[in-house]
Amino acid sequence: MAVAAAAARVWGSSRGLGRVGLLLRRPGARGLARSHPQRQQQHFSSLDDKPQFPGASAEFIDKLEFIQPNVISGIPIYRVMDRQGQIINPSEDPHLPQEKVLKFYKTMTLLNTMDRILYESQRQGRISFYMTNYGEEGTHVGSAAALDSTDLVFGQYREAGVLMYRNYPLELFMAQCYGNVSDLGKGRQMPVHYGCRERHFVTISSPLATQIPQAVGAAYAAKRANANRVIICYFGEGAASEGDAHAGFNFAATLECPIIFFCRNNGYAISTPTSEQYRGDGIAARGPGYGILSIRVDGNDVFAVYNATKEARRRAVAENQPFLIEAMTYRIGHHSTSDDSSAYRSVDEVNYWDKQDHPISRLRHYLQSCGWWDDEQEKAWRKQSRKKVMEAFEQAERKLKPSPSLLFSDVYQEMPTQLRKQQESLARHLQAYGEHYPLDHFEK
Amino acid sequence: MAATAVTVGRLLRLRAAGAEGHWRRLRGAGLLRGFLQPASADGDAAQRRQVAHFTFQPDPEPLEYGQTQKMNLFQAVTSALDNSLAKDPTAVIFGEDVAFGGVFRCTVGLRDKYGKDRVFNTPLCEQGIVGFGIGIAVTGATAIAEIQFADYIFPAFDQIVNEAAKYRYRSGDLFNCGSLTIRSPWGCVGHGALYHSQSPEAFFAHCPGIKVVIPRSPFQAKGLLLSCIEDKNPCIFFEPKILYRAAVEQVPIEPYNIPLSQAEVIQEGSDVTLVAWGTQVHVVREVASMAHEKLGVSCEVIDLRTIIPWDVDTVCKEECFLNLEAPISRVCGYDTPFPHIFEQFYIPDKWKCYDALRKMINY
Repeated sequence: MAVAAAAARVWGSSRGLGRVGLLLRRPGARGLARSHPQRQQQHFSSLDDKPQFPGASAEFIDKLEFIQPNVISGIPIYRVMDRQGQIINPSEDPHLPQEKVLKFYKTMTLLNTMDRILYESQRQGRISFYMTNYGEEGTHVGSAAALDSTDLVFGQYREAGVLMYRNYPLELFMAQCYGNVSDLGKGRQMPVHYGCRERHFVTISSPLATQIPQAVGAAYAAKRANANRVIICYFGEGAASEGDAHAGFNFAATLECPIIFFCRNNGYAISTPTSEQYRGDGIAARGPGYGILSIRVDGNDVFAVYNATKEARRRAVAENQPFLIEAMTYRIGHHSTSDDSSAYRSVDEVNYWDKQDHPISRLRHYLQSCGWWDDEQEKAWRKQSRKKVMEAFEQAERKLKPSPSLLFSDVYQEMPTQLRKQQESLARHLQAYGEHYPLDHFEK
Repeated sequence: MAATAVTVGRLLRLRAAGAEGHWRRLRGAGLLRGFLQPASADGDAAQRRQVAHFTFQPDPEPLEYGQTQKMNLFQAVTSALDNSLAKDPTAVIFGEDVAFGGVFRCTVGLRDKYGKDRVFNTPLCEQGIVGFGIGIAVTGATAIAEIQFADYIFPAFDQIVNEAAKYRYRSGDLFNCGSLTIRSPWGCVGHGALYHSQSPEAFFAHCPGIKVVIPRSPFQAKGLLLSCIEDKNPCIFFEPKILYRAAVEQVPIEPYNIPLSQAEVIQEGSDVTLVAWGTQVHVVREVASMAHEKLGVSCEVIDLRTIIPWDVDTVCKEECFLNLEAPISRVCGYDTPFPHIFEQFYIPDKWKCYDALRKMINY
């Protein structure tokens, strides 16, 4: 121990035992433990042979060998249920109470129903744009359920199920898509750019991956405040190619932030398949490169997502370090209403996922085998959820849009003089030319 | 074992000393005499590095903010940061190399005083620095981010323009990053060339949602920086690096604020208005006295201070277009990247400003 301490003073302290540990634990190695006084006085070859570089903690090797990236058999995919919703390893069953699992199911199906209706409404010209979440509902609900309700969420744009799990009302989803007077975002952004302060869901923005380093900053602040909160940051496998993703991972690790990076790897970034997005073993394999604990899970298995997120949350907060979860899933829908994915993938491929490996079906099988759900309830719930969505939809459509004066506020906390002048100028313009503007649809 | 370790330690130190001593002997007088000819007494004026193109004009000692101390610009910045961290427990300072005090010494002593969780280095990544800063600010804590040179702010341009500037507006005021301030050394320094001399404020001047502020002096810097940090909107504070040591004046020790978006008329005049910011304020001050001396012209000198949102009312009235007796003249660097050896020819020095003024008077 004295040697270890003295050696540590010479070499400098390093993570854990580092070089000192290696010296002590390997009796065959040349080193302090085995040098003779005579040798030391002459020449320190034994010490010279240990790498001294500040940049890496490693041994020398005298064989030229490139490390082979392993993509044939990559990081394994953690799952709890098989494709028929049966628990594979009972010790991994989270044994969630019926009420909670029913909430999972109802959230996923309600989201699915809302998606169908709003997608259709865009087709009919009622809203300008929409993005569905088909096939990825499990990633939203499994992860949201594993968090505390006050954990701050930074999303990309395909995480509406997280908000829905936190009981964001249909009225507000619709209000944002319609940009009507009830929209908390004041009609400023395109549809699906939700935000909710009350439910700790940071407003979505269109540029990809920008939220990643931001989430890290928020996690750092939460750590400093001893808030006992985790920050979760969602992004797709495409966004993970952005520089901001690299920045976020590196900062989270070096600054020891309590954050969960949750990657939805759904196979496509618009039309770009993963084979054109990366050549390594997905996103999970990048985590260790940054010093981040990482796991790959079956994103269509809501219990696997739940278990991984739960454990990541527990440790991230307790140990102040980041976790990376790569949830493998499939984007069943088009990228958005501006996309027709039949241009770049086959209907057969899409059908496979829709019919054979869908998070909603798998959970339904589980529920049914527990005796917690049946076809009667399914029929009744489908009718009820559709009715709820339709009602919210019709109400949202009838509401006015916010007053055009709201075009000018919130640029800064206070309105600068120049902007107030512009606001007045628009008001005067509308007085003279109002007939050319759809003022009837807007509040005064 | 302990004895062995001690012997090892001592021997290593000796080896190190030996190595250094070897170099010290080489670098001693002998080497210098061998390789470098002494500078000749005559005809080498062109070889010496140039003197600054301006003379810093300190303002009179401010009396209304309590006790003052002689500070240069980087010390004034340190003072502002010290005040901020003292009164705001959420405030943190981060960026490349800020922990040891910063490459321009703006953060010297702060890590020791406030702790390593509040003054810390980040990895070398500007987009990460600003993104991270935005995230801190979103939680309501105060984030003071340093970008080592304004020339390197561009990787963060997306985070600044698309995110920070729009955070409040796009969320309908549900979220904001108003407690973010980005500070960065700015402007020409005599030898900085393309990548250590840039003045990129124009790239941000048309980005609603952020504020961009540039001080001309230590007193202005501390007051404006404190205002930026306390302002509820994301701010970029550019610090003229050529003034870090060259500008010295009396600066209050206690915190004080200079308002943003207010230009300052530092000299009244009736014939010509000269508008400038940062280092250039000192250039045009001198041009004003040259104009007075040689042309009998009375100049008004305005320090803009905040580039966006800028103080339109002080600088001009909308009706002024018909009152101007000559077109507005802009004197700036040429439309080239910032050169190294040609800096003296590139910058809008007092002779170019004076010449523009002279032509304007004779319009």
